[in-house]
Amino acid sequence: MEIGLNHYLVLSTILFSIGLVGVMRRKNLLMLFFATEILLNSVNISFAAISHFYGDLTGQMFAFFVIAIAASEVAVGLGLLIVWHKRHNAIDLDLMSTMKG
Amino acid sequence: MELLLYTALFAPLVGSLFAALFGASPKTLVTGVVTSLLLGVSLVASTILLIFVITSGQFVHVEMMTWITAGDLYIPFGFIVDQISVTMMMVVTLVSTVVHVYAIGYMDHDKGFNRFFSWLSAFVFSMMVLVMSDNFAGLFIGWEGVGLCSWGLIGFWYQKESATWAANEAFIMNRIADLGMLIGIFLIYWNTGTLQYHEAFAAMPALENATLVWIGIFLFVGAMGKSAQFPLHTWLADAMEGPTPVSALIHAATMVTAGVYLVIRSHELYALIPNVGLFIASLGAFVAIFAASMALVNRDIKRVIAYSTLSQLGYMFVAAGLGAYWVALFHLMAHAFFKALLFLGAGNVMHAMDSELDPFKMGGLGKKMKVTMIMMTLASVALAGIYPFAGFFSKDLILEAAFVEQHYIIYTVLLVTAGLTAFYSFRIIALIFHGEERYKLFGFHPHEAYKFMLVAMSPLLLLAIIAGSFKLSYFEMVTNLLPAIEYHIHHPLTYWVITLGTQLFVIAAIFFAYKKYMSKSVKVPDGTSAMEKSFFYKLLINQYYIPRFYEEYLVKPYRELSCVFWKHVDQKVVDATVDGIANVIYITGENSREMQSGNLSTMLKWMVAGLVALLSLAVVFGLATRHSDKIMLILSGLGV
Amino acid sequence: MLDNILSILVFFPAIAAIFGFAVAKDSIRAYGVAVAFIEFALSLLLWFSFDSSVSGMQFMEMVPLVPAFGINYILGVDGISLFIVILASFFTMIGIASLGETKNVKNMIISLLFLQMTMAGVFVALDAIVFYVFWELSLVPMLYIIGAWGGPLRIYASVKFFLYTFTGSLIMLVGMLFMAYFYYQATGTWSFAFLEWYRLILPETFQLWLFGAFFIGFAIKVPMFPFHTWLPYAHGQAPTIGSVILAAILLKMGTYAFIRLSLPMFPDASVFFMFPIAIIAIIMIIYTAMVAYAQEDIKQVVAYSSISHMGVIILGTFALNVEGITGSIFLMIAHGVVSGALFLLVGVIYDRRHTKMMAEFGGLASVMPRYATIFGIMLMASVGLPLTINFVGEFLSLLGFYQQSHILTLLAGIAIIVGAIYMLSAYKKMFFGEVTNEENRNLPDVNKRELVALVPLVLITVWLGVYPKPLLDPISNSVKSVVQLMHDKAISEEAKTRIPNLMDGVTRVKETN
Repeated sequence: MEIGLNHYLVLSTILFSIGLVGVMRRKNLLMLFFATEILLNSVNISFAAISHFYGDLTGQMFAFFVIAIAASEVAVGLGLLIVWHKRHNAIDLDLMSTMKG
Repeated sequence: MELLLYTALFAPLVGSLFAALFGASPKTLVTGVVTSLLLGVSLVASTILLIFVITSGQFVHVEMMTWITAGDLYIPFGFIVDQISVTMMMVVTLVSTVVHVYAIGYMDHDKGFNRFFSWLSAFVFSMMVLVMSDNFAGLFIGWEGVGLCSWGLIGFWYQKESATWAANEAFIMNRIADLGMLIGIFLIYWNTGTLQYHEAFAAMPALENATLVWIGIFLFVGAMGKSAQFPLHTWLADAMEGPTPVSALIHAATMVTAGVYLVIRSHELYALIPNVGLFIASLGAFVAIFAASMALVNRDIKRVIAYSTLSQLGYMFVAAGLGAYWVALFHLMAHAFFKALLFLGAGNVMHAMDSELDPFKMGGLGKKMKVTMIMMTLASVALAGIYPFAGFFSKDLILEAAFVEQHYIIYTVLLVTAGLTAFYSFRIIALIFHGEERYKLFGFHPHEAYKFMLVAMSPLLLLAIIAGSFKLSYFEMVTNLLPAIEYHIHHPLTYWVITLGTQLFVIAAIFFAYKKYMSKSVKVPDGTSAMEKSFFYKLLINQYYIPRFYEEYLVKPYRELSCVFWKHVDQKVVDATVDGIANVIYITGENSREMQSGNLSTMLKWMVAGLVALLSLAVVFGLATRHSDKIMLILSGLGV
Repeated sequence: MLDNILSILVFFPAIAAIFGFAVAKDSIRAYGVAVAFIEFALSLLLWFSFDSSVSGMQFMEMVPLVPAFGINYILGVDGISLFIVILASFFTMIGIASLGETKNVKNMIISLLFLQMTMAGVFVALDAIVFYVFWELSLVPMLYIIGAWGGPLRIYASVKFFLYTFTGSLIMLVGMLFMAYFYYQATGTWSFAFLEWYRLILPETFQLWLFGAFFIGFAIKVPMFPFHTWLPYAHGQAPTIGSVILAAILLKMGTYAFIRLSLPMFPDASVFFMFPIAIIAIIMIIYTAMVAYAQEDIKQVVAYSSISHMGVIILGTFALNVEGITGSIFLMIAHGVVSGALFLLVGVIYDRRHTKMMAEFGGLASVMPRYATIFGIMLMASVGLPLTINFVGEFLSLLGFYQQSHILTLLAGIAIIVGAIYMLSAYKKMFFGEVTNEENRNLPDVNKRELVALVPLVLITVWLGVYPKPLLDPISNSVKSVVQLMHDKAISEEAKTRIPNLMDGVTRVKETN
């Protein structure tokens, strides 16, 4: 059996779902970051696969952008996380409610 | 002549404004004197105009200035002095001058002396506007003006609850009728294009009969209010709360006759619609006997005279309704003189008796108040219609007119009423001036009124006696304008039988009244005698329960409905709906606030939910557009 | 100066208000009176230089604002708006002059001057966007006046006032945008100018929808039943000056807009909705008069009486003939004068006793005779006695509508009865009888400052009642052109017959129903 575009897309969907559930369910900020990474990378997979399928490099270029942005996001996010942890000694999402309306 | 016209018209206004300057200050005799003098000026001017109109047979017509113009509508302040209005002007200025002079004495001790004269003169001005206007809108100005002054004067003693209540009742009841009048005016305008009397009447014969009938009815509704015809009559008796000069001037001689004046003024209209005229006559006859019956038992001398006025207004409407306009106007004039006299006499009695009004508590006053007694007796004789007093010529003429026109039912009713009139008039005369001196039981110390008050009354007395002799010359004058129909019963025997019969009947009624109420056995009724317990007595003393009916079934429901409208409909339904809508929005906001909990994971959940919703919508729409033709097919198959 | 007099009229008070912030607190009152007086004098100048024989717009000004969308700053005045502008400046002057002891008097006067700007703006604007801007801006000073100087429920009342009328105006704005879009579709250019819109003949269905959108905005402002409930709250809570301006001028914006916008733009829809609106007007007249009769608070009586009178104005407007519309415009002025005066009078007694409950009074006629007299005159004017200002308007409005329907006019005429009932009973409760409440025994009569405000109003009431011609002529002239425009534009047969054609001499439409 040859591995075609559909397989990549299915993988991407599965990963995206895992990420989505992670985003929704996890209460730990660190886990949330992991889930976000999974989301982003699932999209990267489909970008790369579709780019290959059409023979158009734009998709792969876009995947690089995403990787770069994800990296910077994690960098900033982890920085904030550390500050938060220092101040509150916890990284539980439910405690972060200073902006509650 | 124009100058005279303006003098006659505006002198009372000047007097009123002058008195108003001192309105709030304590009594100054000068206000009374000045207003009276100015009315005298008005009287003189009216007299000169009268002579002019008689001798030349011409009108005086002026247009002072424009009042309202809009579109095709053009209403000026225009005034006309013709045979009809000059009669009214004479009546108004003469009676009001007498009443003003009289009131200087009558209101002597009243705190509101100046205010009184201001109102009284304002009334005369409004009345003059009413009778002198040459168009319906001007008439309406006067119409409402007299209503206002009547309100102010009935409620003159505003500290008294009953007086202010009566004032408001009179105003509101008149307003009901005024609405009819207003609609009549609208009808005239949209059908004839003008409100000027002569143009409007000239255009009327060309109109459809149904329109004319409506105009006639609506105008008459207006007349019913001012002239207190059934069912709008209750205010007149209650209006007796006002000072007695007011009753004499407004509620006997002038304002209440405005309705009759209106019908006479519109005679060209009513001549075209005899059916409405017959209705007016029938209602008039009904009111005549209806009011007379209430006067029979009433224990308030002013109210008795008020009912008598009502009854006589009925007579006038009979004459006017049957087309005998000049007769109506003649009776209006004669009635004004003797009825005002009667009221002023009653005023003297009230003054003597410290405002006591129950004739059963008087008796034997004739010894103390000879002049008043003579005056009131003569006025009553005139009212009863005994030869050769004024009432004989004017009232019996109405009876004759009804007879000649072959309305025998109306004739009979009026004949019976004539007997009743004689009876109740002399009932109070007998009770007040003759018999036992019952007032001593109640500790009154009666005294005759001031001399000048009596002198002031004397012109009225003179006219009450001799007004009848003007009949022929008056006929000649006024029939230049009004249809000249002489009402003569041609068969001499019938004529004498009817005339003498009426006289004898009336005299019998007078004797009966004297006999019954001069006897020593008359006592102050205490509700125990058999008569007072009888059904008819109760019916009459309660005015056929009509005021109570109005109170229970109109006033109270109106008040309650108003409260319901306010507290339940306005606040609980209309406003609550508005607030409800606002509340729904507010609660939605309150509830959806939960979304913005600030909790990252919940917000993420909402974000995902939104994403899913939008994506699925996009998919659905995408599919729908792709397969739109098939969907249409399915829908059309379903019959949509 | 005359070329720009309208702009000066609109912006002079606003500029003066801005400078007012710099004026010392002690002299702000004199400053306010002076500014308002100049403004009033300017409006009188406008009247004197106004040519009564011209029926169209005068003193037009135009400055392009957003040319791409046809939004221009266009001002102009005709017989319909002239006297309302004068009335507005007059009441601002009277209001400031009669201002009693007030906290933060400086803010009050500045708000009033801003309010004057918006009022003048609404009545002279001839561009929908400019009109809308002033229309909405007028809410702000009023909101502040009620909210800052009002009674105990002031926040509720002011928010209700604001949100209610604001909601209505938004719907109106949507209508305006659609109107501009239709204009664009028809002509290919954008325009928001009223005079351009007048030339557009819309299909009847469009007219109905647009009429509806405008109607909601205007009806809330008038306020028409059942959108009226904000008014009693606003009046009940507002300080005297707020009520005076609200009743005298702000309510007139709604009825003015009907005549300025709805009638000439949607003649067929106006005929279509004539009877429903007339029925609403009759409900307003009778129902609110009855509610007024049930009130215990004198200010609420006057507030509800306002709604009742506005019903007559609406009825006159929808008579769609010269008599009726002229009458309704005149009645706007008349009602402004009379209800303004009545609110001032209520303020007089409120200043003395700090209550408005009628049960607290009684017998005031002997304590305050001058006050009772003035109140009596205004009461009689409100009842519509001939030779007072109200009668002319009421008479013409009802007369005009009589051409359209006999029965409905008869019902509306009940106004003169129910009006007398609530007014006389209120007067009786307050002024007649013995003085029972000791607190009322030594009340001072109206003082000089109050007389300064009240006497001119009394004079106007009588003067215009006896001689309304100076107002009626220009009004009637402009109304004629509006009616003719409506007749010419009307599509449906019914509208053609109901709206008289003034060109072929006298027309009388026989009633058809």
